[in-house]
Amino acid sequence: MRLQPQQLQPQTQPQHHYQQQQQQQQQQQQQQQQPPPPPPPPQAEDTAAATTSSSPPPSEEAPPKQVAQAMDRLSHAARLIADIRLGADRLLEALFITAQPHQSNKPLHLFLKEDSSMRQHLQDLRSVGRQLEESGVLSESLRSRSNSWGLHMPVVCPDGAVVAYAWKRQLAGQAGASAVDRTRLALKAFTDQKRRFFPHLDDGLHDQDTKSASKKHCGPQVPMENHQEELSGFKTLSDVLMHLEKEVPNLKIFTYERLDWLKRASLLPSSTNEASMETSKEHNFHSSNKLRTGSLSAVAVEKIAVIELLFPSVFRAVVSLHPAGSIDPDSVAFFSPDEGGNYIHSRGFSVYHVFRRITEHAAMALQYFLGNQAETALHSLLHWICSYQTLFSKVCSKCGRLLSMDKKSSLLLPPVHRPYRQFSALKISSPQLISSAKDTSSDLSQAYHVGCFSEEA
Amino acid sequence: MPLKWVLHWQPNAGSTVNSQILSEVSQCVESINGLKQGRWKATLTLYKPHTRGVSVPEQPNKYYLIIRGQRIVLEADSSIQTIMEKLQSYKTRLALNFDGFQYQLGDFQLRVGKVSPTHSENLRGIFMEVEYLPISSMEKARQIMGEFLEIWQEAVSKRSLPGQFMHIEPNFAEYGLADHYTSQHTAVQYATVMAQLIATVQAVQSVRN
Repeated sequence: MRLQPQQLQPQTQPQHHYQQQQQQQQQQQQQQQQPPPPPPPPQAEDTAAATTSSSPPPSEEAPPKQVAQAMDRLSHAARLIADIRLGADRLLEALFITAQPHQSNKPLHLFLKEDSSMRQHLQDLRSVGRQLEESGVLSESLRSRSNSWGLHMPVVCPDGAVVAYAWKRQLAGQAGASAVDRTRLALKAFTDQKRRFFPHLDDGLHDQDTKSASKKHCGPQVPMENHQEELSGFKTLSDVLMHLEKEVPNLKIFTYERLDWLKRASLLPSSTNEASMETSKEHNFHSSNKLRTGSLSAVAVEKIAVIELLFPSVFRAVVSLHPAGSIDPDSVAFFSPDEGGNYIHSRGFSVYHVFRRITEHAAMALQYFLGNQAETALHSLLHWICSYQTLFSKVCSKCGRLLSMDKKSSLLLPPVHRPYRQFSALKISSPQLISSAKDTSSDLSQAYHVGCFSEEA
Repeated sequence: MPLKWVLHWQPNAGSTVNSQILSEVSQCVESINGLKQGRWKATLTLYKPHTRGVSVPEQPNKYYLIIRGQRIVLEADSSIQTIMEKLQSYKTRLALNFDGFQYQLGDFQLRVGKVSPTHSENLRGIFMEVEYLPISSMEKARQIMGEFLEIWQEAVSKRSLPGQFMHIEPNFAEYGLADHYTSQHTAVQYATVMAQLIATVQAVQSVRN
């Protein structure tokens, strides 16, 4: 017959300790093998105490039993959480059914049934949580207690990882292992995102190891320096916008303070509303600078946070600046000229596939311009956006057609890809090209279907 | 509002339309990845004195009146139909149903269906609507619609059907309509299609007789 654990004194000698640990382990296993409900007699007083919600002082139970109970309660809590999730799904299903026509009282019964069982689950979860708190599982209060025989209560870390049977080494090991795993996952997620949004950075890292890298970088750098000198005149927002207005005739530019844009977006007529597109409160950039006579619509340059580029009947692009009044764009989105609503902003997405695709492409272009030469990023971005005025007329430079079936989405789309890598706003502004800009066979601005575009082009 | 082209089926000389052709055409839509969405129906009435009235599902409260001879199109409240009946000054000569299914192909919407007299299941013609949702300017969308039609005609020709879809663009400017597409444009297109269908049916009948 084994000695009752409570009668033993904690031993400091390692050998004894080890033997005791062995005994405790075996006893824990025995205890765990007993079926939890209904609780067997030795544990009866514990459960009874728990249900009256006054827990016995933990020192009355031996640490092994505490640990076992704690593990039990944790798994009970996990089961309750799973039940709650299921219940939530059923509630949503009941609500969904009510939205369908020709339903009887069935969804109502379903809802009431789920409602009562959810409440019961939540109640149970609360009580289990209280028990766990009291037994020190959710905090680390028991670690410091001296008579824990080197055992620690299972600890629930802030991020949800459960560390059980926390012998010190094991605790360190497990915590370390989970931290390594978490870091690995985080790094993988980060690399994936980086590859997706900053594809050009990968090339840079790759080339740094090779000698040819320095030669490769010399090439584009020289024209970039010239570029920078030429564009040194475009250091302020006014310069950029006024230059754009001059260069691109069909374009309408509007500027807004951030909140004003949201008001305007919700006033925009949606495609079902055939009301006039022009509202009386036009925040035209040109007029706002000239008519600073205290009218409500004038926008001070230092407060401009949203730029709207409208090519009537083709598209509307929304660019956000951060901070306001600067020349640092932080997001861009494309929309149909007939779309209206609160989702029309630089981080929103159009309801039409063609503009959604362009918005995705534009996000990458923006990152490229910012990474390449941040001072001219806005200038390049706005000019690049203007290259989309031929969206519905310029055929693909590779296949020669306007519409093409996109393999990934099985949709017919026009060429939504405009290359941005060697895009130079400088080329657009030189005089001889203004006349040829109307010539649709100009090679300078090219367009591609998603499937027709390849990196070498 | 998004613009659309209304097309009608022109059977080859000596052949007629039947529901077999309609089912082949519907399969064609699905072959270019069209997703069936639901039913769609418009009605068109020919009145005496010579006026056509069109009702379309996108404007349930409106009724459109067209006098082709004088290039007049008018948008009215749907209650005008009751007025016309009560006044007895306009009598219904012929009423046609345009009955079909709607399909979604990304930013395009297609409607394909049969034309039949009201109160009869007799198939007198096949119609099709091609709608491009993102823009409303007919001129800007002309190229895209043209290319879509090419793709469509290619898909249909693979089935070797006795006929083809025709698009006849009415001169909207004569009706006082602008480049920005509206339901009036739709009404005019339907009136034109109806005239074509009647001419086709009459031609077939005269061949028979």
